[in-house]
Order: sequence, then structure tokens, then C-alpha cells
Amino acid sequence: MNRFITLMLTNIVIAFLLSFSVCAQEISPESAIAVPAQEENKLWEDVKKTWRDDIQFHGFLSQGLFSTSGNNVYGQSKDSVSADSTEMGLNVSYQALNNLSFAVQGLYRRAGANTGDAGEVTLDFGFVDLNLLNLQEGRIGVRGGRIKNPWGLYNETRDVAFTHPTILLPLAYFERSRTLFLALDGGQLYADYNTSMGDFSFKFNYGWLNADDKEVLTAIINDPTASGHFESDPSFVTQLSYEIMGGEYVFALSYADLKMGYQAKSTDDPYAQMGANFNTFMFSAQYNGERFSFVSEYSLKWNEITDIRLGVPDAFSVSERWYVQAGYRFLDNLQATLRYDSAIQNLKDRYGKGVEAKSGGLIPAHMAFAQDLVFGLRWDITPSWMVRAEYHRVHGAATISLLDNPDLSKIAKDWNIYALQIAFRF
Amino acid sequence: MHVVKKVKLYEQNKWYRFLLNRYIQKNRLNSLFLCISLCLNAQALEASEVIVSTSVIGQLKGFHELRAIFTLRTLYWPNGEKIKVFVLPDNNAVHKKFVKEKLGMFPHQLRRTWNRMTYTGTGQPPVTVDSIAEMLDKVQHTDNAIGYIDRRVEDESIHYFNAH
Repeated sequence: MNRFITLMLTNIVIAFLLSFSVCAQEISPESAIAVPAQEENKLWEDVKKTWRDDIQFHGFLSQGLFSTSGNNVYGQSKDSVSADSTEMGLNVSYQALNNLSFAVQGLYRRAGANTGDAGEVTLDFGFVDLNLLNLQEGRIGVRGGRIKNPWGLYNETRDVAFTHPTILLPLAYFERSRTLFLALDGGQLYADYNTSMGDFSFKFNYGWLNADDKEVLTAIINDPTASGHFESDPSFVTQLSYEIMGGEYVFALSYADLKMGYQAKSTDDPYAQMGANFNTFMFSAQYNGERFSFVSEYSLKWNEITDIRLGVPDAFSVSERWYVQAGYRFLDNLQATLRYDSAIQNLKDRYGKGVEAKSGGLIPAHMAFAQDLVFGLRWDITPSWMVRAEYHRVHGAATISLLDNPDLSKIAKDWNIYALQIAFRF
Repeated sequence: MHVVKKVKLYEQNKWYRFLLNRYIQKNRLNSLFLCISLCLNAQALEASEVIVSTSVIGQLKGFHELRAIFTLRTLYWPNGEKIKVFVLPDNNAVHKKFVKEKLGMFPHQLRRTWNRMTYTGTGQPPVTVDSIAEMLDKVQHTDNAIGYIDRRVEDESIHYFNAH
């Protein structure tokens, strides 16, 4: 608890410092007017001009509190309270020329056992953006570097609390394979087409994923003792989206082809010859009304795992994930959300009987599915500060982290999550 | 009627009369507040107006174009210059009115679009100003700028977008 208090205090202090620096930036032009020397004034105006016009800084911060029954979520939350969920990001973008810009974002993240107590700092994105064609009707361009993957409605900004309606994302954004889907190192082709009937956006990402993640590995082999890691082969993620009335209605189709191979540390590693290939699509539909909102996404994922010895019953399986979600804004800044969410790891083994039998009872059947009923309340105190709370009733455990829940025999089938989050953005 | 009946029943009761007086007084105060807020609302009923800087007068005129500018889908004026967009905070009444009236949208839809660009590095969101005075100052003193104010003011130095 002490550690939590210290952390919260640090976070809040940092957030306040950030908000002050923003205020300082906003106020300084006025104070500059008071400077009597005109030349100084002009110099400041020049500095301010370049500063304001070309470079922008933005950031976000969130701290979560989780209390659960049955299974752990982000740290030791079971029958206790865990504060091991912190996200902090800072980005800078620079519009160098009318058709050339740079953007980079650093992310600090603590998420239970996967990142450890100290958390980890990563380069979230960092790319150069070259705009090839720019017309009233649309634009075409390319980006090179580390680019976020356009997957469903929320993947690109999955770590920014403000951009999604509940603390825990829908199960379709499978938390265990977060790292894999997050971003890729390579290139992106993008095209926007604006019509009076609506706006189209197309993105195509090609490159190397971040497959070197313990959670991704255990999600595939259900074995936390494996010593090697995955390495990405060339993969792609693409999305076509269509927005009507400035985003009142949003439709998107995403498709991803993810490939990776296992790198063994020792020659007697049972997974030494393992390769994995995921083909997956997601269909998304969203309605954003003044008070009422409705979202639904449906995804199928074909998992092809070659030469695997333990834990997974089929070398080939199809996973299905979908949810329906309704939101209502009682006030402009107070929103309630209700969601029904379903994840099935293998459509041919819907209830996990097969995986349980094949592993000799080692892997419980309820590791093969999850259904989640969520109710959440969100209060946007100011445009920069937000708090929210939510309750999950979960049936099944397909989505839990094996790093936070290492004892497979203790994994609960029916359990609850209570969560609270405070978030800041600028 | 209900109140009158009760007054008759409890006419002798001083304590109740005191409470009743308090009730009437409080209501009077409430109706006064209502009057004030109605007056304020009447003022707020004036339409918001889109303003541009001198360098881009008359460059774009349509409703659809206006929405494309504020959702950052149109980034350049027809003269090739980058559009500098200024907005008021999301919870500002003038902002809410402008977004509804002129863009046919809601502030949370705009914020969704801006957030996605901001936190994926694919676009720079509009610059937020704190007041209408600051908005006027910024649009008048920044080249290729666009913003909005709460009502039409006849002033030679203010240029309107004329999105009708």
C-alpha cells in the first residue's frame, strides 16, 4: 500500500507539473506583451511563432486500481487491491515542411508481472511522414519508422485511457497479445478520400512486429517455463474505414497477417522448431450520437502453429471474439457504458474440454473461453482530467495473464473485477 | 391550491407560517434566477460565427469544407498554405454551440478524431485558446488561421467565413 501511495503521489505531481507547463506556455504570450523593449518582444514573437506553428507536445497519464476475486489482473489484485497499472506517454510532433513531418512518442508502462514493479519504457511510435499528394478531396502519403497498427477502433490508442470507453478494453483487443498488435517497424501507406457521402481512410502497414514478449509466448503455448522467445517475420496490418457525418457513424474493416518464429536458447528446448502464423480480420461498427452510443466489433483469427509439442491441442485453430456495447451520456461529461463481451480460443473446442483432456488436466477447460459483462461509469471532470469506475462479471479465463496467475490449477472460472482509474491528458 | 388549503389548516401555527414564508421567498429567488438565466440564454441564442484571417478571406465557403477543416481532413487552403485551426475548450458553451450549429457534430466526436491523430502521431490537433478575446486575437494575428466567436460583430478587422 505504501508503494502505491508513493506512486500515486509521484504521478499526480508529474501530472500537475505537466499541466503547469502547459499553462505557462499558454500564458507567456500575454506576459510577453508587458515587456517594454520592442526588439525583445519581436524576438520572443519569432520564438513563439516557430514553437507554436511547427512543434506540438502532448501526453497522457493514467493510474488504475484493481480488486478482483478468483484471478489476478495487473498484479496481486485477488482479494486485495493492486495499483500495478500505470501508463504515461509523452509525444512531440514536428511539421518540418508542408508535406514532411516527424512524430515520436515514448511510453512508460507498468502492467503487473509482465513489466515488473519498475515498469518499462518503450518507443511507442517514431516515424517520418511524407505526404505525396494533397487535395481538397483527400491525400496520399507514406510513413516510415515505428508505426501504430490500425486494428479495430481502439488498438492504435489502446494505452491512452481517454480514447476508449472502459478501463479494460474489450476482449477482442486481447490483452495478452497487446505487444504483438501494438505497432510495427517498417512502413505505412495511407490514403484519405473525402466525399459528401462520407470519408474513407485506408492504411497499410508492412514490417516487423514486436514478438519478443513473454505474455505473447505464454498465450500461445500455455507454458510459463519456456526459455526462448519469438521473433517477427515480415507481417502486415491493414484497415479501411468509412465515417459518415464527421464520425457519427463509423465502419471499419481490419485485416492482419502476423508471422513469427521461435528462437530457442538451448538445443533441448521442446519448442525449438516452432513457428506461428495468425491471419485475422475484425469488422467494426460504431454509432456516436449526442447522448446514445453503440459499438460492436466482430473478429475471427486463424491460428496456425507449426511443430508444437505441448499444450495446444491443434496445430490449427480459429478464435472468435465479439462484443456489443451501449453507452449513454447523462451529461456531456458523465457517461455510462454496458457491454457484453465474448472470446473463444478455438471454435472447434468452444468449452475447452479438448485442451483439458489433451493436457491431462493441466490446462483447465475455462482457459479456452471468456464471457464478460461490464458496467462502467465515466466522469470527465475537465477536458484534461477524467475518472471512471467499472464492474466486470467474468465467466472463463482465456484473457488472464499467466505471469500474474502462474498456478494453472488455481485459475477460477467465475470471477469479478472492480476497477477504478484516474487519467490526465494534454 | 394545495398550499392554500394547508395554510387554512395551519393558520394558527406560527412555526409553519415561518416555514411557508421561507418557501415563498426561496421560490421568488428561484424565479429571479430563472429570469436571469433566460436572459442569458436569449443572448446565447445568437448564432456562432466562423472567422478567418485576412490572408484567406473567401478561400473556402461550404459547410462540408468547414467540417473537413475542423476534423483535420482538409489541411491546406486552396492557396497551398497550411490551415491554422483555433478552438475553445471542449466544455466551453460557445464551442459546443459552434460544433452543433456549424459542423453538425458533437464535441465528443471531434475530440475522438483529434485524440486518434494526436496519440498516433498522424496529425496535430487544433490549438486551444481560453477565451473569445484570445480567439479573436489569434485569428487576426496569425496567417492562414480559422476560428469562431459567439456572435457576429460588425468590425472591419474581423473577417467571416460565410459558411451558408
